[in-house]
Amino acid sequence: MSRTSNDWLLTPNGDPRGYIQPERLDELWFHTGTNCNLRCPFCLEGSKPGDNRIEFITFEDFLPLAKEALPLGLKRFSFTGGEPFVNPAMVQILDWALTHRPCLVLTNATEPLMNRMAEILAFADAPNALSFRVSLDFSDPERHDAGRGKGNFRKSLRTLGRLHEAGFSVSIARLQEDGEVPADADAAYSRHFAEAGLPEATRIISFPDFQLPGSIAEVPHITEGCMTRYLTAEQRSGFMCNFSKMVVRKDGKLGLYACTLVDDDPDYDLGSTLAEAQQERVTLKHHRCYSCFAFGASCSEG
Amino acid sequence: MGHHRVQELRRHGPDVYELVLERNDLAFEIGDCLALHNEAAAQSRPYSIASGQDEDSLRFVIRRMVGGVVSPHLCELRNGDSVKVNPPFGWFRPGACGENAPFVFIATGTGIAPFLSYLRTPQRPAPVRCLYGVRALHDVVERDWLASQCELGLAISREDSPGVHRGRVTELLSDLPETPDLHVYLCGLDTMIDEVSDWFENRGLHHTQIHREVFFHSA
Repeated sequence: MSRTSNDWLLTPNGDPRGYIQPERLDELWFHTGTNCNLRCPFCLEGSKPGDNRIEFITFEDFLPLAKEALPLGLKRFSFTGGEPFVNPAMVQILDWALTHRPCLVLTNATEPLMNRMAEILAFADAPNALSFRVSLDFSDPERHDAGRGKGNFRKSLRTLGRLHEAGFSVSIARLQEDGEVPADADAAYSRHFAEAGLPEATRIISFPDFQLPGSIAEVPHITEGCMTRYLTAEQRSGFMCNFSKMVVRKDGKLGLYACTLVDDDPDYDLGSTLAEAQQERVTLKHHRCYSCFAFGASCSEG
Repeated sequence: MGHHRVQELRRHGPDVYELVLERNDLAFEIGDCLALHNEAAAQSRPYSIASGQDEDSLRFVIRRMVGGVVSPHLCELRNGDSVKVNPPFGWFRPGACGENAPFVFIATGTGIAPFLSYLRTPQRPAPVRCLYGVRALHDVVERDWLASQCELGLAISREDSPGVHRGRVTELLSDLPETPDLHVYLCGLDTMIDEVSDWFENRGLHHTQIHREVFFHSA
């Protein structure tokens, strides 16, 4: 398969697929690796202890791409995994990144982060802000722990409180449920925020079920017509693939993917330099693209 | 990713084994884990390395879990069998608090493994004490050797043993010297780790002085 194939360009019905032609590079994501201290059965990356489907990114991998990104108007470096603090280079990478741009780290806020807290606290005085987004899947601690391990809700919540207390910006990620009332689902976290000393207005980002990597999900196909019929120019501009890229290391080779959700499809590996990747038109053929199209899902906090 | 041959499988108690693999020049840090595979089941589980950094072998302390996918397989291996392993990884670094800071090790069960790795690596400062909790005397790994390397506080929860504290390892905490710059390294069951973390924080230790390695919740 390639980006000139019919599958990339056309839906199974033969209609031209919807696409995004990237306009800018506000945010550069780094996938730190699928190695994680937790083994959550629903993980969209399939991460688990010792996993190396996506390998650890090294400081030497990070540096040239970070330097290439800065003059392209970059506003933020962001990091996801796996669990980023399992990666042994994470603190060194953050140390460099924070001298140049604000950073966002998606973390489970358990042992890997807790054990590096002394180094992390030192970043409170960095030239740019460091933000953390912590997964609290459900407001019911038992439901969260059913997927992430006993006691992990309380542990993550406590760590969130400590990060906030140290002056870092924090947000949480939760799972969307069918039929939920979003305001009610968010409000159910209030008592936990109070318990941890977090502001009532702590940001909550909700995500649909993205399914396991490599899944074939039955979702409507997004055509070129859909993009103009159902979306405004502003909404199209808000697609992550319009303003970000993600660096992934697989089989010893770095690739630049269209966004954080499509690294299981090699068609979305857009090259090894940002200059090259920014030229590539991104068609919305991945089943996870439908979440962005239908729900405006975005991993970004821009 | 690589394959390592079994050099030895030693049984310590009914459920506790020490698996020894050829090292094959694999580099690791004290506190690192390796994911060991049961290839037939296409499953892996992480185990802390228990050998010293200068040893020619890789050692692991394994509890055979009833209904487990990987541990029963590992406990049936024979000398010369091959085990697939993923590259080392870890975030727990026993004794890495600096040369002048006092520190203690506290383990339950097979959580002794990263502390064995530390103590088996030469020329490292000794911990103030190593507290080690197990269910029965036959679960203890390297008791005499541990006692020769540091001050060992042993707690056995389910049987009496002469000269050994009968009870949980947490009951030995109050015997530790009260030192404000103490670093605490914990490895084992989450309940022990949370209880000990709270105990020390309530006595004024900053959370950055408490280092944790929780057992993974699967067999």
